[in-house]
Parts: sequence; structure tokens; C-alpha cells
Amino acid sequence: MNLFEKIFNYQLISRLDEYGTLPITAHERSWLKAMLAHPSAEAAFAPETRTKLQSLLEPVETVAFTESLGEKAKSKERHVYHPLLRLLRRILAKNQGIRMTYRTKNGRVNTGHKGLPYKLEYSMVKKEWYLLWYHFRYQAYMSTRLQSIVSVSEEPVDPGEAAEIRERIEATLEARKETAVIEVVRSYNRELSRILYAFSCFEKEVEYLDQTNTYRIRLTFLADDSEYILSKLRFLGKRVRVMEGERLKQRMYESAVKALSRYGIESVDPLF
Amino acid sequence: MAKESFDKEIQFLRMLVLTSGAYNRQQFAERLGISVHTFDKTLRRLKEIVQTIHAELPEKQGTEFADMLRFSYYESSDPILLFLYRAKSLKESESHRLSLIVAALQEKALTAAELMDICCDELPADVSLPDEKTIRSDLKYLEQVGVIKREAGGRPYRYRVYNDLVAQLTDDELLDLYDFVDVMANTQVPSVQGYLLRDTLKKALKQKELPLAVTDSFLYKYHYYSRILDEAHLFPLFQAIRLRRKVRFLYFSPKTGKSYASQNTNPLFERETEGREEHVLPLKVVYDHQYGRWYLLGNNYRQGIMKYRVEGLTQVEESEEVPEAEFAQKLAQLEARTRLSWLVDTGAPVKVKVRFFRPDKQQPDFVKERVLLQGQWGTITEENDDWFIYEITVNGTTEIKPWLRSFGSSCEVLEPVRLRREFIAEWKEIQSYYEPFRENL
Repeated sequence: MNLFEKIFNYQLISRLDEYGTLPITAHERSWLKAMLAHPSAEAAFAPETRTKLQSLLEPVETVAFTESLGEKAKSKERHVYHPLLRLLRRILAKNQGIRMTYRTKNGRVNTGHKGLPYKLEYSMVKKEWYLLWYHFRYQAYMSTRLQSIVSVSEEPVDPGEAAEIRERIEATLEARKETAVIEVVRSYNRELSRILYAFSCFEKEVEYLDQTNTYRIRLTFLADDSEYILSKLRFLGKRVRVMEGERLKQRMYESAVKALSRYGIESVDPLF
Repeated sequence: MAKESFDKEIQFLRMLVLTSGAYNRQQFAERLGISVHTFDKTLRRLKEIVQTIHAELPEKQGTEFADMLRFSYYESSDPILLFLYRAKSLKESESHRLSLIVAALQEKALTAAELMDICCDELPADVSLPDEKTIRSDLKYLEQVGVIKREAGGRPYRYRVYNDLVAQLTDDELLDLYDFVDVMANTQVPSVQGYLLRDTLKKALKQKELPLAVTDSFLYKYHYYSRILDEAHLFPLFQAIRLRRKVRFLYFSPKTGKSYASQNTNPLFERETEGREEHVLPLKVVYDHQYGRWYLLGNNYRQGIMKYRVEGLTQVEESEEVPEAEFAQKLAQLEARTRLSWLVDTGAPVKVKVRFFRPDKQQPDFVKERVLLQGQWGTITEENDDWFIYEITVNGTTEIKPWLRSFGSSCEVLEPVRLRREFIAEWKEIQSYYEPFRENL
């Protein structure tokens, strides 16, 4: 199986688009057949749709790649598909509101709270789905694990109001953006590829200072992501150093001081 | 003609995406081991592909290519690097002909002769007309890639488009299928075929003008999008494994400065390549979720188990077959040696014992939650209200170390003593990085 097929060629695809034709290749059918065997397929379709797909794909040969493919350092998959995804994505597409009962982080149950869904987000690290939404009464942008939703139903919302809230959410997200500059400690330039891979899941720009042979990574992220960035920084250890971003610097310093105290090494000036 | 290889494009895009415009042309070309002229040519070609597929992308004069590809979380759910797989070259006349044939077969089932007539009538005047042999070979190709199907019945054979997946589903079912493909392509490996299918289904939804056809409801946080570049090598490797064949390739270790060397055909310009010629029996391909990178694990007659980063592979070619018994024996040996690898380390097993501290009582125990989620086969052997002990036997400590360190002060290494000392030394050094900052407080 070759992924570089003539049929995928860009000019051919754009011509087929003009004709309105939709070619589906054996490669894609075979991949889909393999994915339908994944346990998550059950939550993704109504039973009759799944049966229909299985029968359409019945004659398709699957490529046996699973035996030669291994995965390492994978988090346990809490779920890939959540039964609520289908309902929520339809409410989202209809631009409607929600009425929801959900458990908060500290275990309290909020009953019948109203809001507007914004996006559904899957965390590749935590391996679970979250609903990003706007809480009407709290007037706040929220992120709730689908796992914590007890029940949810559609609730009409005025299209004008919905559009306004979306704008507000986007402004909030924009306002929450932070930047930090991380330098690759020069003696670790040999590990540049690994370090850049580690940051490849963020919005970033890299600067190369020719004179000193140094690399600097400017990250743009939401304030909520700073915990994850900190764990990445600690993950890379002495290979990287925060150059700009006061809060990150302070937290890294704190981490080091506290970590050392775990080993009985106290800082001379226990400022933190 | 030599088989078209996309090594250059893959290396080029990877460097572009990872370094996001850090280098100027000269520096970029130097690091790839190509001339500035080749750099410009490759860039032009890639730009043309991107602009053909993503007509909506800004075509502003002077827009840097790196900017066009910049990853922006909330703006686009399309994996833009997918365009690499659209790069196979095709003659202008062939792309006209193939698209016309598929479009005609979408309307109704037709024979080669009928298609011949359609081509004569409808192909643009400047495209040379095909003969029947060409049409037959086109049909053979399209049938082989699964885009069309031969109908039951005798000669002359009739063909039709094979798109039951789109045609036989209701609108609502199509929407579910699109979502499923989107989720699976983003969360599972391999994914390129899924992304290609997602593209087609997205167009199908658009064509139907469904009111619910919003295709950007899902976001994937902390996703390593660039992993799809390395998937280019996966299937040739899977095939070699299936056929029990060895492979040859030129390997550029990611730790060396240069990541590609052009295959010069002009002997005047021939020079030493910096890559290493490798000849190995491929046994397994491993995806490392920690960094989003791929490894090839294999066996070589002289050195035993070999490990390569897939991003360093170029000019991969199949070579001789080995007996099944030999393959099975080498694979069993590899499985035994990597059973305790955090990633792919085959060093001596060592027991690692650490104490994880729980957060304040007011907070949910996110430390334990993360250890349970990511701690692979390690176990919790002892716990109380303040901390818990985690133990794991792994091959060497190098690969698990970053993960343990990422917990910061919530983790204290107890065993082995050497690792404990290393942690103390590293935290001291990290503290020293920020001393000057602290003094400014």
C-alpha cells in the first residue's frame, strides 16, 4: 500500500472537485474497516448504521498492520468516543443552547444549568472529552468533562445572542493568551529535534541566533495550559531555560527548590 | 525512470514545521544538505500544491510558507501537512483524463469504448486524445486503487464509481461517519488514510448542503500533528515486515546536523553522503506517544537488535527475503528484550522506586490520577494520606527519567541510588538557571 498514489495528486483532486466527484480508495476503506473494529465504534453510530457500514465494508481486505505496530508511553485510553458526543455535536451544529446537570471538580452536582456549547475538545494527554461552553448565569467560559455530565438536553437560544456569546468567548480566549520564550541550552543543541518535537503541540515560532548558535522558542498559549507547559519544561529538565515569562520562571525556580527539599537539601534563603 | 521518492519533501516539511521559520534560505538548505536552488524549487512546488488544495489560504504577496503552515489551534481543524500526500506527480493530460473518467462513471456504468467516446468529446483541445489501450490501463489502475468497480456480467465490461460509503448512507449517517473518521484519525495511529477519507467526507457533506454539516466542532488538545509526515514510511515498512524482507536505507541520525543528502546523478557533483547505509530485517514499528515520534526496530546480522528513528530514514528499499523461522526467532528475541522498555531501550532491567506526594487536601488527587494514566506497567505498592510509592522495573532509567522529572517536587526518587543522585544534581542545576531571576525579585 502506497500513500503516494496518483489518485491523491493535488491537480487530479482539484479537477474531481470541480466535477463534484468523491473518490474513495481501497486504502481508506481498509483503514475504516480496521477502525470500526475498535470498541469506540459502538458509541459512534446507531446500531443499524454500524451494521450497514460493516456490510458495505465486508468485502474489503484489511491491511494487517496491527501485529507490526507497537505503541509506547501511551496513556490509558479513558475513552476515545463518548456516548454524549453525537448529541452535543448536533446541538452545536444547530447553534442551540443546553440545559445540563453536571458534577463539579469538588464533587458537587449542579442541576439544570443553562449555557451555550462552544466546542468539544479531546485531550490527547488525559485521553478524554471535554465540553467547552458558556455558562449563562455565571457569565463564564467553562470546560466540563463529558464524564461529569449527568444529563444534558437542547435548549432554544436566540441566534443573535448566541453569536454575541461566541464573540465574547473568542475575545476571552484571545485575552487569555500568553507568551513565553524558551531557550535551548546550547550544549544540548544536538537534541534540538527531540526538544522541538516536545513543543510541536503548541503555537510556536523558533528563532535561531547565528552568532551564538542558539535556538529560542517563542510559545503562545492559553493561561490554562501553563501547567502542562511547566510539566514539559520539567520533562526536558536542564536542556531548556525559560528566558521570558515571569510566572513560568518563578514556578520553575519553586519546583527546583521544593524538589531539592524532598531530598533534604534546603535552600539557603527559603523565599518560597 | 527511478521510483519517485518524497524523502526530500518530507525532510523539508519536517524541518519547516519544527523550526517554524528559524533559518534563512541558506541555513535551511545547508542543514538539509541541498543547494539553495533546490531549496527554492522545492518550496515553489510545495507552495503550488498547498495553494491548489487550500484555495482559501491567504495568497498575499510575500506570505512566508512557514506562516501558511503555522499551527493555530482554534482556527483550523484540517491537518494541513496532509498535502504532502497530494504530491505524487502526474502528467497534465493524465489528470484531465482520469478525472473525466471518474466523473463519467459517477453518472452511470460505462464500458471502455463508451469512455473513449466521452474523452474524445470532452477533453480540452490541447490535451492529446487517448487510445483505447490507455483507457483500459486507466481503468485497471482505478479499479486497483478501489475508486471504481467492474459490474457483474460479461464482456464488454462496464465500470462504475465505487462510492457506496457516501451514496448509501443517509445524511444523518454520513454525519456520524464524518465525526467517527475525524475522531479516529486524530486519536489513533496510523492516521493518514483516515485524514484522506475525512477530506472526501467533508466534501460530501458540503455538497449536500446539510444544515448540520458543521465540520469544526472537535478540537484535539496537545496533538502532535507533525507525526503524519513520518507515516509516509510506515506502509513500505509494514509491507517489508509482512513479506519477511530485509530493507536497505540511508540513515540520518536526528542527532547529526544534516538530515538529507540529494541523490546526485551527475558524477561531477557526487560527494560523500553523511548518512549511514543500513541493511536490516525490519521487525516492528513503534509509536512513542511521549514525543509523537516513530521508531523502526529491526535486526541486523552483525549487531543484533537495531533501533532507528523513522524520521531519519531515506531511500528505503526492500531487499532479500528471510526464512519464516529466522524472522520468528528474531521477533521473539526483540519482544523479550523490549518487554520492559519504557520506550525502546534494550538496556539491563532496573527496579525504579519513587515516592509521589499528593497535592493539598482541597485539591483532587491529580498526581495519582496521572500516575495511573501514564505509569505503564508500574504499580502502587504502598500509600497513605500524604504520599504513595510507585515501583516499576524498566530497561535502563534514561527513558523514564523525563517522565518522573515532569512531576517536579511531587516526585522523590528512592531507588536506584544512582538515579536519586542524578535527580539531585539536575534540580540543583535547574535551580541555578533561575537564581539570577530570583535575585531580581
